[in-house]
Amino acid sequence: MSFAPRPSVQPWARVNKSRKSQIFLASVLPLTLSALIVFFTGLDQNLALVGVFLPLQLVAASLVGFLAFGRRGVGDSFLIVLVVFLSTFVLVLLVSVIVSLVSQGAKAFSWTFLSQNNIYVANTTSLDFGGVGHAVIGTLMIVGLTTIVTVPLGLAMAVYLTQSQSKTKGLVRTLTQAISGLPSVVAGLFIMSLALTLGWERSGLLGSMALLPLMLPTVARVAEEALRLVPVDLRYAALALGAPNYRAFFQVILPAAKSGLVTAILLGVARIIGETAPLLLTVPINNGTSWNIFSGNMMTLPAYIYGYLASVFEPSQNRAWGAALVLMILVALLFGATRLLSRSKSLKSKPTKQKASK
Amino acid sequence: MNSLTKASTLSSENISVWFGQRQVLSDVNLVFPANKVTALIGPSGCGKSTFIRTLNRMHELIPGAGLAGSVYLDGEDIYGEEFDAVSVRIKIGMVFQKPNPFPTMTIRDNILSGLRLSGRKIESADEVVETSLRRASIWNEVKDRLNDQAISLSGGQQQRLCIARSLAMNPQVLLMDEPCSALDPGSTRRIEETIKELSSSMTIVIVTHNMQQAQRVSDQTAFFLADDNTPGGVVEFGATEQIFNGPVDQRTNDYVNGHFG
Amino acid sequence: MGKLQGMSEASVTNSAPVRRKLSAGPLSIGDKWFFRTASIAANFSFVLVLLILIFLLIQALPAITSQGLPFIYGTEWNNSKDPIVMQIGPMIWGSVLIGALGVVFATPLAISLAYLIVFMLPSRSAKAATTLVDLLAALPSVILGLWGLFVFTPVAAQWSSLLNSYVGWFPLFQVSTADNGFLGSPFIAGWIVAIMIVPIITSITREVFSQLDRDLINGALALGGSRLSVFRRVIFPTSSGAVVGGVLLGLGRALGETVAIFYVLQLSFDFNWAQILEPKGGAVASMILSKFGEASEEEVSGLIAAGLVLFILTLGINFLASVIVNRAQPWRKI
Repeated sequence: MSFAPRPSVQPWARVNKSRKSQIFLASVLPLTLSALIVFFTGLDQNLALVGVFLPLQLVAASLVGFLAFGRRGVGDSFLIVLVVFLSTFVLVLLVSVIVSLVSQGAKAFSWTFLSQNNIYVANTTSLDFGGVGHAVIGTLMIVGLTTIVTVPLGLAMAVYLTQSQSKTKGLVRTLTQAISGLPSVVAGLFIMSLALTLGWERSGLLGSMALLPLMLPTVARVAEEALRLVPVDLRYAALALGAPNYRAFFQVILPAAKSGLVTAILLGVARIIGETAPLLLTVPINNGTSWNIFSGNMMTLPAYIYGYLASVFEPSQNRAWGAALVLMILVALLFGATRLLSRSKSLKSKPTKQKASK
Repeated sequence: MNSLTKASTLSSENISVWFGQRQVLSDVNLVFPANKVTALIGPSGCGKSTFIRTLNRMHELIPGAGLAGSVYLDGEDIYGEEFDAVSVRIKIGMVFQKPNPFPTMTIRDNILSGLRLSGRKIESADEVVETSLRRASIWNEVKDRLNDQAISLSGGQQQRLCIARSLAMNPQVLLMDEPCSALDPGSTRRIEETIKELSSSMTIVIVTHNMQQAQRVSDQTAFFLADDNTPGGVVEFGATEQIFNGPVDQRTNDYVNGHFG
Repeated sequence: MGKLQGMSEASVTNSAPVRRKLSAGPLSIGDKWFFRTASIAANFSFVLVLLILIFLLIQALPAITSQGLPFIYGTEWNNSKDPIVMQIGPMIWGSVLIGALGVVFATPLAISLAYLIVFMLPSRSAKAATTLVDLLAALPSVILGLWGLFVFTPVAAQWSSLLNSYVGWFPLFQVSTADNGFLGSPFIAGWIVAIMIVPIITSITREVFSQLDRDLINGALALGGSRLSVFRRVIFPTSSGAVVGGVLLGLGRALGETVAIFYVLQLSFDFNWAQILEPKGGAVASMILSKFGEASEEEVSGLIAAGLVLFILTLGINFLASVIVNRAQPWRKI
């Protein structure tokens, strides 16, 4: 039972020369052929991609598959080519969103942009003036207010779903799921209806209220999952030591689920931070900075983007892109934070390497 | 479908196995003669399950898997150019530790699933189903409910179903990785009887933790062992009778007499 | 031991043992408040749904009563008539059409991407791709609207033009005139919605694929399965229920989509049944947004009624999704 050097090429990975050249041809020929056809006949590129390149690639790959493995090789090659083609197509589209966001948004990006508001800005004002400062503040305030109310609520609901013995748990879950199906524009209409009925003025506060039903199901669901992941033995151990339920929860279960609960909060915030329709219906916009969430106008990032989106003036379009980039950065930060949390948690809970006792 | 394929001789020559950079098996040389049952025994973690997966090219599915040496089926290297993994697995079947019938399929469809998965034409499907279930000693229990969902069977029945499923492929060799360890003693006994009957038409290699089981079903036995941090390997290999009653190596003696493991 | 024998005669009674009442309730006053708070929060979900329905109904009632059933299938919205006429038929159909298009475009793309990530990519690329997809699932729709308007519309218009010139004879691809540049059509809106829901469907499908019992796949491979046959016969049937659930979830999202397609659509109150390249029809959510700014009191009521209809529609789809998921996978361990 002695050590030996591991062979660099595995037996199953050896490909004989003729197979290698077949695979090479099958990969390169369709591409060159399609490119030549486009070049010489001026065929539209989109059409060539789907009408010339894809069929050629499918045929070439199926041929190689057939030569290598017989009938089943055809099916497998077909699957591989199709999957790669469709995936590349959708990845190109998805990545183009991010790329255009960064490239267009960077045009407006500057410290001025981040800190100033738009009180003196007209449609054609150059990008040296004005910015999204007021929108960022507005977003942070409105989203912050929603978060302050929703998190304890969602957490309490998660506690109910995991800790209590009640028979109506299924009903609560169904209702929460129903709320999560609420389209965002209807959430705005709901608060609008409330305001109309009670005679309230539109304000940032109403915006916060409209965001609540959108954030609550996410927080409740993720928090419930986080609590559920805590091994039930921990709770039993605490109870067996004589603790009442609430102490067992706060001193044992809650700390164990901490990172999952923070994830729930972050995901909830990410869910509502970009919501546009509810705010458009409930919060009147402002070009200046407002610190009063309970009355008066207030600008938010999504409303800002919406406002400048369809402008024909280029500086305004750039502003929209810039604001979108700021929004995207905020979402990415929230997202990155959740990833960091889950990574650090899994590192902490891995047992220290023991000798293989299998 | 009436004539069963002839059983084959399987042999491994200088098989060494790596997971990533870590070598777990060193120089395994074993011969599994046609129509004989060979048991692989040894303590946990010494590489028996890993080894058996090199025999039907399932080992290479693990990311970072490494292998040196050859495995010969009737004289031809299954890692060579005449074979690809799929054709190997059609000839060398495997039954896993945990019964894994396909949950979306009925009992009948499960039996035929191997033929469908490997793209083979099915002639006289009913005959195939009945033959396979009979060979796995479960025909009488399920013959009236072939269209029931496979997961409605008990654990022991599911495992025999998986055996029947592999048999429907008419393999030349059947590999069994601790097939009874998740089952109750009654099911275990029935599967052991099935193994003995099957050996008349195929070669069987069985990994087992249960030394009494090895003595009951196998014609020859290989004893695997791995010291701390060294790759595992075969300590002793020979007729079952001799391994258990008159082992040559002291370590074999200690193991079969329960001094460790 | 002798006592046992004596007992066996005396204790042959007919009554079953008396069950004692056990409870796992509050163990102290602190507990009482703990559970009480949790119950209040849980009841809040009930209250919230009630509030939503009540307030929406209150404000929508004037419109509902004045318009009657034609509200749902009629095609006219005229605020200069007296009494006012408000009908959202083409909008409802438009939402459904665009949602359906979005699902039809997104599903093959999403399943392909999930298959690629789980069964084809090496683990590092797979992790990177997963992160990318999950990040895009969190993308606010207004950003997608921005991209959709400026970057994607020209591309999709080009596709529309190609479709029209090569297969324009097929009713699906017919247009009234090819001169308007193919803008503002359900086709383009459908694509934008598709890009919006692909990350959602991919995430769910990816999770389902990777949680498939590895033993099943190994079992299929050990029987001699090839890549295609294992996918067709084992992977897809076992995961299809959950995938359909994910697709329906995406559809629910697509129906409520407001801002992403707002600037791309040209709203017109004519039923656009299936001419996907024609800039006709609309979507309920976009209509609400567009009319909201200048709506009279009666119109506001109509818009709120439209929102109510939309809510009922998405509720129905979500309910359908959960029924399908539960029925398709009776063996699911959850």
